Amino acid sequence: MLSKGQARAFFLGGTAIFTGIFLVLTVDSMSRVPQQTNADQLTPQVKAGKRIWEEKNCMGCHTLFGEGAYYAPELTRVVERRGVPWLRVFLANPQAMFPGQRRMVQYDFTPQQIDDVVAFLAWCGKVDLNGFPAKPPLRDALAAASVPAPGAAGATPPGRPLPEVFVTGSCLGCHRLQGQGGAAGAALGTPALDDVYRRKSRDELVGWIQDPQAIKPGTAMPKLVGVAITAAQVEEIADYLVGLDPAKAAPGSAGQPRL
Amino acid sequence: MRFKTQRIACWFFAAALLLLMLQIVYGFVMGFARIGLDVLHDVIPFNAARAVHTNLLVVWLLLGFMGNAYFIVPEEADRELWWPALAWVQLISFLVVGVIAVIGYHVGWWEGRKFLEIPRPLDYLVVVNILAFLANVGMTIWQGKRYTTTAIVLYFGLLAAALLYLPGMITFDNQTVDSFYRWWVVHLWVEGVWELIMGALLCYLLIKLTGVDREVVEKWLYVIVGLTFLSGILGTGHHYYYIGTPRYWLMIGGIFSALEPLAFLGMAMYALAMARKGGRRHPNTAALNWTLGSAIMSFVGAGFLGMAHTLPQVNMYTHGTLVTAMHGHMAFWGAYAMINLAMIAYAMPVLTGRKLWDNVPATYGFWLSNIGMIAMTGAFAVAGITQVNLERRLGLDFLAVQREIEVHFVGLLLAASLFLLGILFFVWNFWSFGLPTDEAAASDVRRVEEEAGAGVVRPATA
Repeated sequence: MLSKGQARAFFLGGTAIFTGIFLVLTVDSMSRVPQQTNADQLTPQVKAGKRIWEEKNCMGCHTLFGEGAYYAPELTRVVERRGVPWLRVFLANPQAMFPGQRRMVQYDFTPQQIDDVVAFLAWCGKVDLNGFPAKPPLRDALAAASVPAPGAAGATPPGRPLPEVFVTGSCLGCHRLQGQGGAAGAALGTPALDDVYRRKSRDELVGWIQDPQAIKPGTAMPKLVGVAITAAQVEEIADYLVGLDPAKAAPGSAGQPRL
Repeated sequence: MRFKTQRIACWFFAAALLLLMLQIVYGFVMGFARIGLDVLHDVIPFNAARAVHTNLLVVWLLLGFMGNAYFIVPEEADRELWWPALAWVQLISFLVVGVIAVIGYHVGWWEGRKFLEIPRPLDYLVVVNILAFLANVGMTIWQGKRYTTTAIVLYFGLLAAALLYLPGMITFDNQTVDSFYRWWVVHLWVEGVWELIMGALLCYLLIKLTGVDREVVEKWLYVIVGLTFLSGILGTGHHYYYIGTPRYWLMIGGIFSALEPLAFLGMAMYALAMARKGGRRHPNTAALNWTLGSAIMSFVGAGFLGMAHTLPQVNMYTHGTLVTAMHGHMAFWGAYAMINLAMIAYAMPVLTGRKLWDNVPATYGFWLSNIGMIAMTGAFAVAGITQVNLERRLGLDFLAVQREIEVHFVGLLLAASLFLLGILFFVWNFWSFGLPTDEAAASDVRRVEEEAGAGVVRPATA
């Protein structure tokens, strides 16, 4: 039977051997990490973003590389998922984007700080994480099992240039329009906007965009006036959307609906 | 109590239990926020509550370990504590640093690195404090009349824990490198050197409570801490799967993490075997319950539930979800909270000479807190598994999934209330012991122990 001396030798020997292996692997990892993480792209702005990430203890709610607190979304691929315009709007006023839902602290970031955080998150998004986060393996099976909404396919009318406001106002973060955007809204069931003229009049659209909560309390659609878009841009958006109706749009007068 | 200076342990225990209760309060703040009642959002946002909750855990466990060391080491070394006044200074300063840190978290003074949020200037104070503690305990052992394996392993664990705190104080611009070394602290603490501390405490308690020969108990202590390091050091790899480190960690981490439950299984089997082997039972049933409970719950929480999501193929989907919270709660409770409470349950009768070990608060304290924690783990498990399936496997939106699992947090809060009730019983019993007395040294608690054949170490192995 094992003696106490042998047991001690097992403990000390095992500890020494595995500590040694661990240190060798650490050295090797550190030599490979710069390439795997694109360390050459750690610009001063990315570093500044990381400092803000730590100062605000973002990990206290979010996860990054899967590490954090599970109270708020995983942010590793957030730049790819939401797009930079959406993130800029969101970081300026997080609670406006998800009205009545779980709240993020209002940090009153300066535009410079927002750019720094976005740069940091963009850098994180390009790190090779050995396949994490995985593409949801059952998403395709779910999509295949569900019936597409009538009119959703092939509704894109040809050839009208998309006004800039749809990007800067972050609409395309959730909505799909002219074959663009919609990533963040896919799981929420956010409708595509190509055929919204069939369901809403111009005035209804203006009223809805100005204050979605007043019309449908609890909707996931945020009030973006004064946050991401101006009152004038609301009109521009509504004009464009009703102008997508082939029956109303005159071939020559781009963007101006016939009254 | 054999040495007057052991009584300082009592104050460390009191401080630890106070912080444990505060930790639970912040747990409730987070639980309510998760069911939509985030009324404290403007005062204590979730990230502040979370930092306080986890840091208080670390601080109270460390205070408990220090108290345990101050209780055990004089007895093992067979002399008074080297410098009792230093222990007092160290206790008070540690508490002051802790309180400043907690207040700081409410106003955003922190480092924002999970588990290591304490801001840098306070880090230095912690280091000085730990050095004072290690010097005090170390000198006591060094100048002691005898060296025991238990004392040496305990000291080695505490020393290594202090050394491993240092890598966490280096800052890196690269998030991956930052994370890599952060785990040196966090992982190598809880799945490495803290297990040495736990093993040594378990060993001490088994010697005292079961009366099994010290040589036998200590031999197996070496085997178990050997297994801990054999699996735990390279098991760090399970934190390096998906943070931007080389792919070979998936294999190394996977294999060695799968071995990690062995140490905990060994610990559980060892505790149960020793308890059966010991001919005569120590009358302190509360301490024996906590000791065996700790060995078993740490195997379930740290060993089994840890292994359940440690394989890379599983972890790909569970990484960064509530499944981690499920494992974390029972692991810390079983391995480190319960061993501390076991030591308190054992030490208080010895320190005060009062036999409050088979009464209502002691019994209810043990059972309610454990049933509450098992139920909490269940609530986290259901919430976590649902989150994994809906968000990670079906690809639904994060917030939509959170709304789906909100109901499980109602269950969590109910379970946590039961847990809190158990802790309040324990604290009530602790309070009933009162302060240590000089007469306790000559009280019949010690005599009961010696008659039972436990703790008679002096003649046999001196």
